[in-house]
Amino acid sequence: MNRPAVAVTGLGMITPVGNDTESTWEGVCAGVSPARTVAELEGCAIDFACVVDGIDLDAAIGGRASFRMGKYVKLAVLAAREAVADAGLDPAGWESTRVAVVVGTSSGGSASLTEQAVVMDRLGAGATSPSGILLTIPNMPAAEIAIQLRATGPSMAPCTACSSGVTALSVARDLLVTGQCDIAIAGATESIVYPVAMAGFARSGAGARKDGDPAGICRPFAADRAGLVMGEGAAVMVLERTEDARARGAAPRALLAGTGATTDAHHPISPHPSGAVAQAAVEAALRDAGWAAEDVEHVNAHGTATPVNDAAEAALIARAFPHRPPVTAPKGVLGHCMGAAGAIEAGLTVLTLQRGVVPPIANLDAPAPEFDIACVTKQPLRQPIRRAVSHSFGFGGHNAVIALQRP
Amino acid sequence: MSTIHPKITEVLTHTFKVPVAEIHPGSTMDSLEMDSLAVAEFAVLIRETAGGVRDLDQLPKNATLADITRFIDPAADGGARVGGGPAMSNAR
Repeated sequence: MNRPAVAVTGLGMITPVGNDTESTWEGVCAGVSPARTVAELEGCAIDFACVVDGIDLDAAIGGRASFRMGKYVKLAVLAAREAVADAGLDPAGWESTRVAVVVGTSSGGSASLTEQAVVMDRLGAGATSPSGILLTIPNMPAAEIAIQLRATGPSMAPCTACSSGVTALSVARDLLVTGQCDIAIAGATESIVYPVAMAGFARSGAGARKDGDPAGICRPFAADRAGLVMGEGAAVMVLERTEDARARGAAPRALLAGTGATTDAHHPISPHPSGAVAQAAVEAALRDAGWAAEDVEHVNAHGTATPVNDAAEAALIARAFPHRPPVTAPKGVLGHCMGAAGAIEAGLTVLTLQRGVVPPIANLDAPAPEFDIACVTKQPLRQPIRRAVSHSFGFGGHNAVIALQRP
Repeated sequence: MSTIHPKITEVLTHTFKVPVAEIHPGSTMDSLEMDSLAVAEFAVLIRETAGGVRDLDQLPKNATLADITRFIDPAADGGARVGGGPAMSNAR
């Protein structure tokens, strides 16, 4: 299919290691997790997580608006502002009807819903917030970004659990290539570090239990991996047709070469152990990009550190990419930022392409002996990378893969 | 009486990030650029201070912060004026 190329012209991130793209990149390359005990989780079976820190989100958002935003919305708005500024775009001057916003989330504002339920139970309906619905619904990150940036084109919130970010980037790409917009603000956000979610997460069996310093608990692809550690954050990109970007003098950070998506249709939590359906998403992304498997020079893995995911994914990578491209798994540092993870990891992949640096997997000396993959450990790997893929596999069996390349 | 109940100042500055310099006894919700949703949220938070029984809906839309202070703490200034315009809290 002959279609216009799409470029990443702006990037914004807010994560447990940094409140913008640069500090996030430095933190991920340092390979040390900020996971720590979280006071609000006292008494929970899992009382630690990777959280966004060191920023007054309300002050950053600004007056008279932050009260109506859940944390997941605030993170998305801040990432979007950074991305648009990074792209060199001025919302005051753009053709707003041609600007789309596609920002996903997995759990939306479930944290605020829980808070409001407690208020209602203790104090009655009259004490609940008039903003209660706004604090909860998953489209509000997209809607508030549209309000803040005066973007009046199509907007929506893809929801495919932990692959929501890649799904959002894929949908945004499609809006651009079909001419439904000229600029797409796309990414994902998540913030569910609160007791009810963390209790359910612990009871599901997916979460790692405390076995020492929280910073050392998320160990993707390790023989002694013990489950995932919760994270939170947001990442947003500005996408434009490459021709449009160059016409306005913008230098693309990377090109979005292809995407692929499949669904396991197997089990709500467990990935299909064969990995065949997830691999089909990888192959679809390669076809979409017009690449052969050996063109891929780097894999940014989903790498949750759960026994089942990492076994299935390592086998998938070994089958799909027998030439052993270097593999990283940012969740070792960041924890699993759930719906935002795919967007954050795609953002990190963009930076890897730009800088020729693959961040190391935290807490890993070497992959489990049965995994035939080339994990980057201890130190960042410095080598030019022209083409890379980033994997996202979500609860519900939603597999989404994005292929990115240097301009 | 030209004081502002400290809870009002606290809610405006903390929840709504209104700069302290803009908060005066004669300020109204409109002059503070509080939209209808913000006013509704403000009313819920202030209602708690008023013992959960006095609803700011009873105040006119153009009530000043001094009016609201008297309403939630009548002892401060001999009772509030009630009436005289559309209700302060309005749904969209």
